Amino acid sequence: MRPFKYTGAQNKDQALQAFTATSHYLGGGTNLVDLMKEDVERPDQLIDINNLDYKKITSNDKGGLTLGAMLSNSETANHPEVRTNYPLLSMAMLSAATAQIRNMASNGGNLLQRTRCPYFFEVSMPCNKREPGSGCGALNGMNALHAIFGYSDSCIATNPSDMCVALAAIGATVEVQQTDGSSRMIVFTDLHRLPGDRPEKDTTLMQGELITAIHLPKPEFSDHYYYLKIRERSSYAFALVSVAAGLQVKSGVITKVGLAMGGVAHIPWKLTKAEGFLAGKKPTSENFKAAAALEMKDAKPFEANTYKVEMGKNAIVRALTQAYEREV
Amino acid sequence: MLERLPKHMKEKYKPISKIKIMTKTTNASGVGTAINRVEGHLKVMGKAKYASEFPVENKVYGQGINSTIAKGEIISIDTSKAEKLDGVLKIITYKNAEKLKDFDKEMTPIATDTIAPVLQSNKVHYYGEYVGLVVAETFEQAQYAASLVKFEYKKDPSAVIDFEKSKSKAYTPDNGTNYSRGNMEQGLSEADVVVEQTYNTPIEHHHPMELHAVIASWDNGKVTAYSSQQIVEDAKIAISSTFQIPKKDVRVISAFVGGGFGSKLNLDRHVIMGVMASKMVGRPVQVTVTRTQMFTNTNMRQQNEQKMRVGAKKDGTLTALSHETLSHTATNQEYQEPCGMVSKMLYKVPNNEVTYKLIPMNIQVPFAMRAPGEATGSFALESAMDEMAWKLKMDPLEFRIKNDTQTDLHENRPFSSRLLVECLRIGADKFGWKDRKSEPRTNKKGNWLIGYGVSAASRNSPYQKTYSKVILKLDEDKVFATIQMDATDIGTGSYTIIAQTASEYLKIPVEQVSVELGDSDFPITPGSGGSWGAASYCNGARAACENAIKTLKNNRNIKEEEDITVSELLKKNQLTKFEAEGMAEPSAEFEKYSVFSFGANFCEVWVDKDTGMYRIEKMVNVASAGKILNPKTAYGQIIGGLTMGVGMVMAEQTHVEPNFGNFITRSFADYHVPVNLDMANIDVIFLPEEDKVANKMGIKGIGELGITSVAASIANAIFNATGKRMRSLPITPEKLIVAGLEPGITA
Repeated sequence: MRPFKYTGAQNKDQALQAFTATSHYLGGGTNLVDLMKEDVERPDQLIDINNLDYKKITSNDKGGLTLGAMLSNSETANHPEVRTNYPLLSMAMLSAATAQIRNMASNGGNLLQRTRCPYFFEVSMPCNKREPGSGCGALNGMNALHAIFGYSDSCIATNPSDMCVALAAIGATVEVQQTDGSSRMIVFTDLHRLPGDRPEKDTTLMQGELITAIHLPKPEFSDHYYYLKIRERSSYAFALVSVAAGLQVKSGVITKVGLAMGGVAHIPWKLTKAEGFLAGKKPTSENFKAAAALEMKDAKPFEANTYKVEMGKNAIVRALTQAYEREV
Repeated sequence: MLERLPKHMKEKYKPISKIKIMTKTTNASGVGTAINRVEGHLKVMGKAKYASEFPVENKVYGQGINSTIAKGEIISIDTSKAEKLDGVLKIITYKNAEKLKDFDKEMTPIATDTIAPVLQSNKVHYYGEYVGLVVAETFEQAQYAASLVKFEYKKDPSAVIDFEKSKSKAYTPDNGTNYSRGNMEQGLSEADVVVEQTYNTPIEHHHPMELHAVIASWDNGKVTAYSSQQIVEDAKIAISSTFQIPKKDVRVISAFVGGGFGSKLNLDRHVIMGVMASKMVGRPVQVTVTRTQMFTNTNMRQQNEQKMRVGAKKDGTLTALSHETLSHTATNQEYQEPCGMVSKMLYKVPNNEVTYKLIPMNIQVPFAMRAPGEATGSFALESAMDEMAWKLKMDPLEFRIKNDTQTDLHENRPFSSRLLVECLRIGADKFGWKDRKSEPRTNKKGNWLIGYGVSAASRNSPYQKTYSKVILKLDEDKVFATIQMDATDIGTGSYTIIAQTASEYLKIPVEQVSVELGDSDFPITPGSGGSWGAASYCNGARAACENAIKTLKNNRNIKEEEDITVSELLKKNQLTKFEAEGMAEPSAEFEKYSVFSFGANFCEVWVDKDTGMYRIEKMVNVASAGKILNPKTAYGQIIGGLTMGVGMVMAEQTHVEPNFGNFITRSFADYHVPVNLDMANIDVIFLPEEDKVANKMGIKGIGELGITSVAASIANAIFNATGKRMRSLPITPEKLIVAGLEPGITA
């Protein structure tokens, strides 16, 4: 591992002040430290933000909850209010990684975890995300696990987070602290960006910005929800395809839909078309199938990941069905 | 996580496993009793020392550097940045490396005592080959410095890295393993039904939990290596022949080994680099292979394409069976996995053909991985048998039983004992096989399609010449015994079963026995591997104990049959300390028989109809493996084998990058092994089996039986559930979701 400077920040001002262009904030470190060991991330300085006071879950003025960025994934997913009012989020978070990793991983860090594309991890291979301009090894290489939506010639990697898929379905807002002391709000679906010709940038965060909180809207999917994660083993595997589905059903009619997919794009893939299609319709198998077909017809798979189209379709229908049929 | 489990599974979400022991025991701590591991407390206290844990003074660290091309030459090396770093002592490349013994010929077959020349030229044979070693005061310094050494290569575009595209380069290895009996084509023409299918298995890696590691010291031409090895004697030979130094000047210590699965059978090149570095810097050097290097530098199981042709009469009588295997080997060393082994001996089939071809590829040389031959070969054979049973509309269980044989038609000699039919029948009963629905897609529950599968397993039980020494000490009335042999315990329980053997033959409690293993200064054994460890070690230890008692009796003219305690014997001899050696080896009788362990796997699989995910709900494994020395450790071996088999089916595969030739699967994040939740409810049943031909103690191998044919039983269950025939491992959701139904089956 390369030598680096470690700075322990006691408050946000110290953290922001210490920040330089080659610094990284250190949360749980479950992704960052791994990548440093692999020589993929090469910061000169780590600013430890674990002592920052962003570890609470509070009610917000929208009638929802605000999750502190430095709270662990475990504490968040197992928090009684999250479990009761945002079970979709809890379910998605608990499907991720292992108990040990969830105990370490922070909420802010989860939003910023980097792709698991093997070309990104192996420094002797080309990867535009790791080394801009070096090319995309996966484009004409091994891409069975790669994107089927929204990719570019520069990058076909996917976002690995489960939590983010649920947050995209629920419709969260992310609060960030800027280096000049001000703060701003980012609509969740604007946080991550498609690769375009700048795949090295995963998010729309500006240099030195620090995520402090995730604001959830008032709970809408606590009765009908499901997070379906399709993977090669029962735990500790990233999703081949995942679907977060939340429904609000009144008098036999869908009044609100939250739907997003993981494992298919550079960002948590919000299924806006399917959401629009289902709103106001009956929660029937035919409607679920039509909604799934509507989304998946835009998929542009590679030869090796064609399976994701069928799998994705099935997953959407299944997640919606499980969400709807869930006994309250 | 429990959310997606069906209700009935949630209820019994608890790790249950049962062992049924059908063997009898005599002595309270002797052979056959389920005692705890004698070294268990050392392990849980962290006091059992693995190779890299020995407190060797003045030790420094070596970090290997790997090539980043598949074939070509090194044209320049820039060490300037790395050399300037604090703590860096030496950077070794082909330019300054010690001259070592090289292979005498092209394509030298790899064996357990093969030399391991390294850093000898600027030639690169595969991606990840060692091209350098940095030695530094600390591990961190060595690692960082290694990343700063810059190699410039001239790539050779003729690198062979794509198996599918390189089949025309295949050759028949000159090792006499191609085999035939009867007339295959005639056998096929006599058949009413023919199955002709190809089965694929990918590159797999052993990945024992303990990383390969060595602490090597070169001291005036004498070498001491604390190295994680399965066979210390062969490691010693490999070091002495690679450096061309006398064998007596090499000592290898491998006291505890955290798993090997075949990857530690031979001596890998990091050990040679460690010894070389120690010679060059004048200090002991530790080299630990990283998890990523475990993919490129410590063996693997190669990709196999197995073409099966099976012919049978309408009544299920086999008429023909051929098994053609296409694999790959390195461009400079040869290994061929005997996949067709099982097809030669498992069933009564008069016309039989087994062939092998190898493609030389620019990938590291493959080598034995748990049940080499059987693990992969039985996937092909036992899948094909299931396909044939389906075509014949026969119960796959009865089809196998119908073709049982008590003669090994390959060797043309009887099996010393063979309880395969009993394994199948008893397993079927315990499993509830009669509830199986023969028509796929008819057993359904909610979103799940349920299927049952069966497969037969066999693994030969080699037994080899073994020496051992026993040291007896009398302390008042108690005799304390120490057994010494260069055997290894690779997590299997060797310490325990050897202690039990001494307890049995000296008639003293196991608490009074200590066992010292894994030091090449101790009497020679064949080491651990190939399921020969238990039989060889225990019979070796038995021989020493028997010799001790016999000598003590002879010295005092006590009749051999007289029942006298070893403590009285020592007293009568007026001795407080006595040593004896012993040797055991296969009898002449042994050579007249084929000695195998047999088994049967049954499993119930639930396949999700929409997602392609599946769960193994239940497994029953019946093993007939001679005398069960310790039901606990034997159970551990079977469970471990089954788990590895589940890994083989569900997820394990190493991908070769088609443009660069590296393993793109480079950590446990990409190389998936099963997690606890993937494992089923498992019943293991050991049948009582007396086989005195196998060896005096009646011990047969069990370390590899568990993994054998698990893959087929699960694949067969998946077919029974879904009507989809999965002929390519691993069977992943991505494959299942796009797989078509077999002809004649409707959704």
